[in-house]
Amino acid sequence: MHDRQADDSSITDQALIARTAEGDRRAFEQLVERHAAAVLRLATAASDPSTAEDVMQQTFLSVYQQAASFRAEASVRTWLLTIARNTAFRLHGKTRQEDLVEEPLTQLGVQAGWGSDDPEAIAIAAERKGALRRAMASLSAEDQEVLTLRDLEGLRGSEAAEVLGISLRALKSRLHRARLRLAASLRRLGTDDEQASIGGQP
Amino acid sequence: MIETAVAGLRCSEVLAQLSDYLDGELGASEVKRIEEHLLGCPNCERFGHNFGSMVVSLRRAPDGTESVDSKLVSRLLTQLDELTHEE
Repeated sequence: MHDRQADDSSITDQALIARTAEGDRRAFEQLVERHAAAVLRLATAASDPSTAEDVMQQTFLSVYQQAASFRAEASVRTWLLTIARNTAFRLHGKTRQEDLVEEPLTQLGVQAGWGSDDPEAIAIAAERKGALRRAMASLSAEDQEVLTLRDLEGLRGSEAAEVLGISLRALKSRLHRARLRLAASLRRLGTDDEQASIGGQP
Repeated sequence: MIETAVAGLRCSEVLAQLSDYLDGELGASEVKRIEEHLLGCPNCERFGHNFGSMVVSLRRAPDGTESVDSKLVSRLLTQLDELTHEE
């Protein structure tokens, strides 16, 4: 998309939405350029890598059609990501696990390496982007969504809670548990890689 | 995990507040108690340090290019053309 005119960063997202509502195609393209990567990441978390592109397309078509309904006091990114999540859920949503009984936090901690002699394993594995991607992909949609919004996209807690339709308190609890489960997954990957490496030696 | 109480906090209480601590969501007195616990508890200090490093790596993970495949965007704009011509 970089053969198109460069993004004019002096124009705010709110102004681009207003222009899009008036049918300004170039303003819409700039919105896509600014936010497509974030929408694609959340779509991947909320649906599946194989359907995320479809979710992204439908999200931006909805944005084009609904631009006039955007309220200026909201964050454009939060609004876009809310539409993306709803679209993913409607089209290809994974089975939600919200009714399951939560594991005790100490159990999650132990799986993540709390109290073990190898807590470094999670930090070492997290430095490898491939391992981080695999560990993320092994988590539930709920965990991937909250990690994507808070840690990958850098949304504030209140913004992430708004996208997910939950309270700030619930958001914080979900985020902490998701990070512990990510750490546990990274720790397992680190151990697997180590064993594979030992097994591969002549 | 053998729990200890340091600075009036048990290890499981520190574990429960680790993300809030890393995200700067705690008040000054809670931060002080957690930091005193971490200073006196090597297990929690090691885990907290590595857990924090993992979060930092995660936050750095998105590619700096911040763009998606140009074919994907072209397809989207074609779909938009079809949609606007139908209306």
